[in-house]
Amino acid sequence: MKISDLFSTCILNLLRRKVRTILTIIGVIIGTCSIVVMISLGVGLNEAQQAALSQMGDLTLINIYNYNNGGVVAIGGNGSISTGGGSSQAPVLDDTAIDAIRAIDGVKAVTPVLETYNMNIQSGRYLYQGNVVGIDFSALPDFGYEILEGRYPMEGDPEYTMLFGEYTAYQFYDTKKKRNNYVDYWPGMEGEKPDPFVDVMSDRFELTYQFYGEDIPSKIPEYKMSVVGVLKGDAQRDYNTMYGAFVDINTLKRLVAEQAKLAGEKQQQDTGYQDVRVKVNSIDDVERVEQAINDMGFETYSMEQIRKPMQEQTQMIQLILGGIGGISLLVAAIGITNTMVMSIYERTREIGVMKVLGCKLGNIRTMFLGEAGFIGFFGGAIGIGISYGISALLNSFLSGFLGGTIGVGGETANISVIPFWLVLLGMAVATGVGLISGFYPANRAVKISALEAIKHE
Amino acid sequence: MGELIEVKNLRKVYRVGDEKIVALAGINLTVHAGEVCCILGTSGSGKSTLLNLLAGLEKPSKGSVIINGVDITKLKEDKLAIFRQKNVGFVFQSYNLMPALTAIENVGMPLMFRGMPKRKRTKIAKKMLEAVGLKTRMKHKPTQMSGGQQQRVGIARAFAAKPKIVFADEPTGNLDSKTTEEVLELMVRLTRQNHGTLVLVTHDNSVAQYADRIVRITDGKIESDEINQNVKQFASEQSQTKETAQ
Repeated sequence: MKISDLFSTCILNLLRRKVRTILTIIGVIIGTCSIVVMISLGVGLNEAQQAALSQMGDLTLINIYNYNNGGVVAIGGNGSISTGGGSSQAPVLDDTAIDAIRAIDGVKAVTPVLETYNMNIQSGRYLYQGNVVGIDFSALPDFGYEILEGRYPMEGDPEYTMLFGEYTAYQFYDTKKKRNNYVDYWPGMEGEKPDPFVDVMSDRFELTYQFYGEDIPSKIPEYKMSVVGVLKGDAQRDYNTMYGAFVDINTLKRLVAEQAKLAGEKQQQDTGYQDVRVKVNSIDDVERVEQAINDMGFETYSMEQIRKPMQEQTQMIQLILGGIGGISLLVAAIGITNTMVMSIYERTREIGVMKVLGCKLGNIRTMFLGEAGFIGFFGGAIGIGISYGISALLNSFLSGFLGGTIGVGGETANISVIPFWLVLLGMAVATGVGLISGFYPANRAVKISALEAIKHE
Repeated sequence: MGELIEVKNLRKVYRVGDEKIVALAGINLTVHAGEVCCILGTSGSGKSTLLNLLAGLEKPSKGSVIINGVDITKLKEDKLAIFRQKNVGFVFQSYNLMPALTAIENVGMPLMFRGMPKRKRTKIAKKMLEAVGLKTRMKHKPTQMSGGQQQRVGIARAFAAKPKIVFADEPTGNLDSKTTEEVLELMVRLTRQNHGTLVLVTHDNSVAQYADRIVRITDGKIESDEINQNVKQFASEQSQTKETAQ
């Protein structure tokens, strides 16, 4: 038989007993709705949790901390540095290691971060004594650093190129005054921003070293710097985007070494970076990438360590909710089987006649499986449609009560979320349940003796 | 005429509780292509069992049924289905039309099983229904038709695929005598047109008189097997011959 004929025969037979078909489909609709709505609550819970977590930090960021190994960085002017290198077997977190990490599948970008506290930036009489941070400029967009003014540094920019944080300009103070020498960056009553002492995009800046104690070298070099852009302040991502100054990592490494030398410190063996940040493509990559980095011998930290147990918990809740929904689908499945067995019982004679007229057994099986499958399919499709309605109702009426507890303050989180995979899952489960329910009746139909048909009544 | 059906030493024994019932006790029979063969017997004589075995609806206890060179008692059920699609048509006593389908769809059903596209089988079905005189009943469902009309749909269905053999099991059992003659005439005429073979099972002696050959069965055995020397003519044919005589 042609597939189109099989299909139309199925539909025709379903339409023949409309009431029974509709009742059976309603069963599947209820089953599908309960599963989809239940799982959507779990998904909503999960999303609300993730939203809450991402406010605490970037979920796709892994930090590598290498403090055990000590290092060349973090030099105090008095020379009390370096807690000594770690064990000789300890891996070195250097550029080679970073390249290896960059090569891990799922890694979007890697950058070392070098924070120094003893460099000054000055512009005429105005002085900045905040953090100067070395970072791989080319990785900035991948890490989600946003430019507020100007542009990202580009390849071909001079070595002494800088980016400022959103409020770095307000960190400059007037060295000629003892009092009232800061500009506060809080906007005034009308929301107007006060002008800082320096105009970051056009003023000239010089970077110098700051020394403490008595061993101040006679000549301190100065480097002319130019600022190409201002980053958008994002304290969650990196507090240096608020008040810091960014320099290319390689430049800063060299400056740090020079400063150490001027301070009369002995050249330390390079034990690598202390702080490296890894950005991965998606949340699902975090655990694997983190494990790979741990396997290389480095200690890591990520939000995953908080997220994972929370997610496992919500998955558990999802499973329980889905299971509760599953019970009603099971009842619907029994309904389908019952309907099909009844209809086969009624159609025994027809089935026999079809066999006598040369219908293949496979076609008969397909016919009945198809009918059961259609019941599941239509039930699933309508059920998902209704689930969207229920979901919308839940969100509009219940989120007011529950939003505060699950969601994050401010935005009200949806308590029921139906993602696309749930639609596919719902359809697949409903149709699958139909087919499975139809299996026993279909085999029963196949086994009916063709002889039944031509026996006299 | 070639041998189309060859039955050799066919036995069928039913077991009812501890009792054995011999339905067929060694039947040997040859049906030639083009014959209208009537199997005549009383109720319980084994005639219906014989027909079931001939059509492969049941397996014999012993013996073989060779149709067109193939022993159908050895075929698996799926092969039998294909065999029936290609070679066999059926006319039932109680019509056995699909109640949900129209006359056209009923007639087209065996063609649908063969995988024929809808447009083509509808065309054939219409032609067949015209041939059995139901031009005005094509879109009717079985419940909207009389017994005689339903049986004519049944006949159209049986002959639609132009099978080599048509089996008819008491096809006139539920019909009055006038309709009986019309129905029989139709079957014989279509058989001749198709150059097919008709195997007709009945208990009615008068029905048997229209056949070329009459095989009488009693208690599972062939009692007599003779060529009908005096084939009864249908009323319409009689009037035709009268006209030509005049």
